Amino acid sequence: MSTPLTCTTGRRPDGAVVLTATGEIDMSNAAAFATALTGADDESAGSPFVVDLTRVEYIDSAGLAALFPHVDRLRLVSNPLLSPVLTIAGLDDITTTAAES
Amino acid sequence: MTQDVFADGGDVGRDLAAVDWDRTPLGPPQQWPQSLRTAVSILLSSRFPMWMAWGPQLTFFCNAAYRRDTLGRKYPWALGRPANEVWAEIWDDIGPRITTVLSTGQATWDEGLLLFLERSGYTEETYHTFSYSPLRDDDGALVGMLCVVSEDTERVIGQRRMATLRDLGSDPSVVRTEQQTLAFTGAQLGRNLHDLPFTLTYLFEIDGVRLAEATGIPADHPVARPGAWPVEAISRGESVVVPIEGDLPLGAWREPPVEALVVPLLQQGDSPYGFLVAGLNRFRAVDDGYRGFVELTAGHVSAGIASARSYQAQQRRAEELAELDRAKTAFFSNISHEFRTPLTLIMGPLEELLTRSDLTDDQGVRAELQVIHRNGLRLGKLVNALLDFSRIEAGRMQARFEPVDLAHATAELASVFRSAIERTGLTFEVDTPPLAQPVYLDRGMWEKIVLNLLSNALKFTFSGGVRIAVRGEAEAATVTVTDTGVGVPEDEMPRLFERFHRIENARSRSNEGSGIGLALVKELVELHGGTITADSTFGRGTTFTVRLPLGAAHLPAEAVNTAPSAGPRSSGAEPYVQEALRWTPGTTDSSDEAVPVAKSPATVLVADDNADMRDYLARLLRSAGHRVLAVGDGQAALEVARRENPDLVVSDVMMPRLDGLELVAALRTDPRTAGTPVLLLSARAGQEASIEGLDAGADDYLVKPFSSAELLARVRANVELARLRNHHARWRTALIDSLQEAFFVCDEDGAVIEINSTFTDVLGFGPEGLPYAPVHPWWPDREADPEAYNQVADALALLVGSTRGTYTIPVQHRDGHRLWAAASFNQVADPDTGRKVIVGTFRDVTAEHYAVQRDSALAALSVRLSQAESVSSALDGVLPDLGELWQARQVYAAVFHDSGPPTLVTDDEQIRWESLTPERRTALTALRDEPLLTPVADRPGGAGIALEHPDGTMVLLLELTERRPFTEQDRTLLTLLAGHLGQGLHRIHQIDQQRETALALQRAILGPAELPAGFAVRYAPATRPLKVGGDWYDTVMLTAGRIGIVVGDCVGHGLRAATVMGQLRSACRALLLQNTDPAQTLTALDRFAVQLPGAMCATVFCGVLDPATGELTYASAGHPPAVVAHRDGTTDLLDHGRSRPLGVRSTGERPEAHYTVPVRATLLLYTDGLVERRRQPLTAGIERVAAAVQQGRTATLEELATEVMANMAPSAGYDDDVAMLLYRHPGPLELDFPAEATRLAPLRSMLRTWLARCGVDPTTAQNVLVAAGEACANAIEHGHRHLPGGLISLRAAATADDLHLTITDSGLWKTPEPAANPHRGRGFALMRALMSEVTVTTGAAGTIVGLQARIPR
Repeated sequence: MSTPLTCTTGRRPDGAVVLTATGEIDMSNAAAFATALTGADDESAGSPFVVDLTRVEYIDSAGLAALFPHVDRLRLVSNPLLSPVLTIAGLDDITTTAAES
Repeated sequence: MTQDVFADGGDVGRDLAAVDWDRTPLGPPQQWPQSLRTAVSILLSSRFPMWMAWGPQLTFFCNAAYRRDTLGRKYPWALGRPANEVWAEIWDDIGPRITTVLSTGQATWDEGLLLFLERSGYTEETYHTFSYSPLRDDDGALVGMLCVVSEDTERVIGQRRMATLRDLGSDPSVVRTEQQTLAFTGAQLGRNLHDLPFTLTYLFEIDGVRLAEATGIPADHPVARPGAWPVEAISRGESVVVPIEGDLPLGAWREPPVEALVVPLLQQGDSPYGFLVAGLNRFRAVDDGYRGFVELTAGHVSAGIASARSYQAQQRRAEELAELDRAKTAFFSNISHEFRTPLTLIMGPLEELLTRSDLTDDQGVRAELQVIHRNGLRLGKLVNALLDFSRIEAGRMQARFEPVDLAHATAELASVFRSAIERTGLTFEVDTPPLAQPVYLDRGMWEKIVLNLLSNALKFTFSGGVRIAVRGEAEAATVTVTDTGVGVPEDEMPRLFERFHRIENARSRSNEGSGIGLALVKELVELHGGTITADSTFGRGTTFTVRLPLGAAHLPAEAVNTAPSAGPRSSGAEPYVQEALRWTPGTTDSSDEAVPVAKSPATVLVADDNADMRDYLARLLRSAGHRVLAVGDGQAALEVARRENPDLVVSDVMMPRLDGLELVAALRTDPRTAGTPVLLLSARAGQEASIEGLDAGADDYLVKPFSSAELLARVRANVELARLRNHHARWRTALIDSLQEAFFVCDEDGAVIEINSTFTDVLGFGPEGLPYAPVHPWWPDREADPEAYNQVADALALLVGSTRGTYTIPVQHRDGHRLWAAASFNQVADPDTGRKVIVGTFRDVTAEHYAVQRDSALAALSVRLSQAESVSSALDGVLPDLGELWQARQVYAAVFHDSGPPTLVTDDEQIRWESLTPERRTALTALRDEPLLTPVADRPGGAGIALEHPDGTMVLLLELTERRPFTEQDRTLLTLLAGHLGQGLHRIHQIDQQRETALALQRAILGPAELPAGFAVRYAPATRPLKVGGDWYDTVMLTAGRIGIVVGDCVGHGLRAATVMGQLRSACRALLLQNTDPAQTLTALDRFAVQLPGAMCATVFCGVLDPATGELTYASAGHPPAVVAHRDGTTDLLDHGRSRPLGVRSTGERPEAHYTVPVRATLLLYTDGLVERRRQPLTAGIERVAAAVQQGRTATLEELATEVMANMAPSAGYDDDVAMLLYRHPGPLELDFPAEATRLAPLRSMLRTWLARCGVDPTTAQNVLVAAGEACANAIEHGHRHLPGGLISLRAAATADDLHLTITDSGLWKTPEPAANPHRGRGFALMRALMSEVTVTTGAAGTIVGLQARIPR
């Protein structure tokens, strides 16, 4: 059984594509996460899209690896728990950290 | 062009170039012909001195060497000038030579030509060797000349002066007088008028200065007045240059000197003899060379004067001595003559009396008369000898030579000596075969010759014999007298026949003698026209050979009587024989026959080499009632005096071996005889002689002859005075001799000068050897036993350096055995001399010493054995002690097992059995076969013994320092120690075995085989002596994950306590499982303890811990409180829930307490052995252990356990056993999971929970989760790529400040390849970025990733 993860693709009021992930991302479900990312990227058709990791409790290097191919068109929304990992991975410039709820 | 000509000329070239050549006939150099240019260039480039002249005015050129050697101040003025102007002063000499060269073209040659040059500011005497050669111009015409020159001045003058000095030093004649000496030196000085135009030699005399010699100047010349010279400076030994004027002699020059050098004639160690004035050559500067020459000259004159004067002095002394000798002979002969008449008048009536039987029937009278007679004869002999001398001297000796059968006459004379010689025990050989013809002799003289020689031989011979032989040769007869006596030292041989000369210190039968015997013999032999020679080897004997020419041709005709006379004319032999008979060895005869009659009879020691005098004195003193000891010389007297301690010594002054004065001195230096009065007798009259005697320390002095009454009176007076004076001394001596302790007196140098009889009893050294100077003969041998030697040396330093003290030293008895003496001493001042002396006593403490040594060695051995924890450590401790006891260089202990090589123990770990020499191995093996406990010390430098060792036979071998004696006491001690050692080793071995058993048991029953996670435990037995005890710890898994923890301590030690402990522990465990309540458990345990002997009063700390929450319920039965160290560094003591130890009756229930162990705090349970120290309150120990745990709160639990055990241990180890239990809350997380990715989420969940329990903040927790996740992902992906489903384990533990995680897989990781797999590289980067430390250890068994994170406060 893979680590629980749900990925939902939607659009913000301004029309931007938003991929919202909930759960934990590790090597067991990184492939699914990658697929979701590709889907969202396709959907935004070359425009920037947003990945919302606010409700992700854990992401490891496998999850990060799925983000890198889309890094040019990607905006991340994250939570404080993940920000050290994202910062170390060099993704902090495209990341907005939401205040802890 | 100009530069070309002078270019190579250096300074001279430059100066030549500066010359205004236009003003010379040569014109400017540019126009010079090639020949001139060549000549100039040759000149300038040569380093040999040269000058040249060119052209009509002979213009002058020269080079640098010429400038230096010859031209002097004329440079550079001379350059370019006409040559006759340059050398105007010598143009008369050289002008003609130059003219010849220029006219003939022939070169000139002059060697050592004297030229007076004006180059140094004065007219100077110079010598030059030079050649002028022609120079031609380009057309071959003679236009100049070149001069090559070398200066010889130094050589010529040096040779001249050297000749004078050589002549002065080579005086062919043996110079006799001062005047002759001065005449000789004057002659030599007068031959060098160049350097010494005139000289004046003056001598200081008592009344002024006298001119003793003059050269080159008349002695009455005005300048020769002695007053003209600076005499004062001369007297101080200084040389002075003095200007002189007047009509002075020229010497070898055309002008007189203007200066003189005045030089002292130095006398070694005294003011000068006089001085030498040397007129100086005005053509030479007074430089060091000139001055030195004159001073050396003066030295020669001084030396001549010195040798002449010393010769004169010797001559005078010799003449004075000869005169003295003549005067002495004249005096003696005159005196002797005066003796003859009284002597005749004594001897005549005396002989008459001796024939009278009415008188001689009385033995006493007869003996006295014989003494008088013998000594009358002796005096007569002496008088006659002296008269013979004076006759010979005066040429009045009336000899009558007649033909005599030499062999017969000589044998006859010899026969009268036989009895005297044989009485001394010497052999006497007379070898006189008949000769072919008679020899012309004066019978009287011959008699004296032979008797003197025989008498002489007997006097100086103490063993062997005397031989007289007669032989005929072609032209002479020889008589030899040979003895095996003391011989004559080589340096005395030349003076053997000298009149009045006696060989000092020669050992002889008598010190009597006048030194004229051999001199007379020589004179008499020479009157016969014969010769006498002596041949002697010192210590071996002497041979005198008399050669008498045959016939009568060599004798004065008027003294020759061709007809032999009737036979022996007279016998002058008796005095010689009588004298010799008295030399027969005298014996120390004591006075048994004497009848004491004096009121206060005394023991009197008489020392005289003349037996008659000795006998006379002895008789006289005995008649007065004294006890008499008579000896023949001073040495014998000294020995008897030391032994017998006489009341008075009466001694002659002149004696062989030790004379009277020396005897007095020797008696005075010996404290035993220092007070013995001495009365000296001497034939030497006069104030001086008696003062000498009294000075030496004699009490009285009597001049021979003396009256018997005077002697007795003096003896009595001296004895009484001495008795009075010595009363205290005698009392003291008696007292000291009665002491039980050895008594001694030392002088300030440590020489023993007085001892008592106990001293002799203890050490074997008696008073006869006094004084004993250090190193005393009882010191131990320095080589054999340096330690003992140094002890004694130190004691001596103490003795002479302190005012009082005590010491105990090893000493050597005279017979060689070793003693120990305990001495005490005091410094006192000798009341007689005021000098420091040391008075001491000592006891023989040998027995005590060895007893103490034995006891202390045994005690030391016992201590070592009692401290030892094992047989091997016992040996390690004991061997150095044994080595030290015997100052052994090495001690070997070898234990022989049933098989295999022996085990070797030494204090040097490098030494192994295999590395020993074969000899050593053999020696050790041989010892094994010796009977046990029997010391073997049959070779020097080693001693050994065999003893029982728990593992077999052990041998001990002591390698002793060279020649260290191994005494009987040493053997006893070694046996004793070896015996104790063997027993001790066995006892230790037994204890060892017991301890091993107990420890094994303790370990078997102690503690759970597997501890729950988060615990660490320790148990240590007591180390000194090593023993197990009744301490324990325990953990029990209870229901609901709770854990029972117990630490307890039974009373007592050893197997018994361990057994009780085991039962209590099991009971406690069972009760906990049943009750899970600490208080109830302890209460139940109380009942059990009452039933179990030895369990009463055990203390127990019992708790139940919930590791999930840290909640602890506990109760303590008299046990020390547990300690909790918080993560912030504070500590809590769990000192509630206390009650009495087990089995102690109690009224209420046991209380229980609750406590929550905070996160990352450490709980410590222990027994009192960890904290209890003698003379320290228990609380101090608890504080210390709390501090130790608090300090180690950041270490892992196992590290902390080890640290606490080590830090708390006393330096000598724990003296009680210790049990300790540590728990850190929460316990570690330990997870094992299959290597599958799906396992990661649950793993994170568990880790997250544990981290929360550890109180870790969310950010740090997230970091740990990611890092651990990455490590696990790696393990799944790489470690188990080829082995799916393998297990991965994760361990996490917390300290106060850190988290430690390890992730272990059983596979091999690939080297990370970020390029190939970028996100894995990112995984590592994440771990490193998030953790404070990451380690990856890859081994054959798998890979371990260690992670460490700091927990923020």
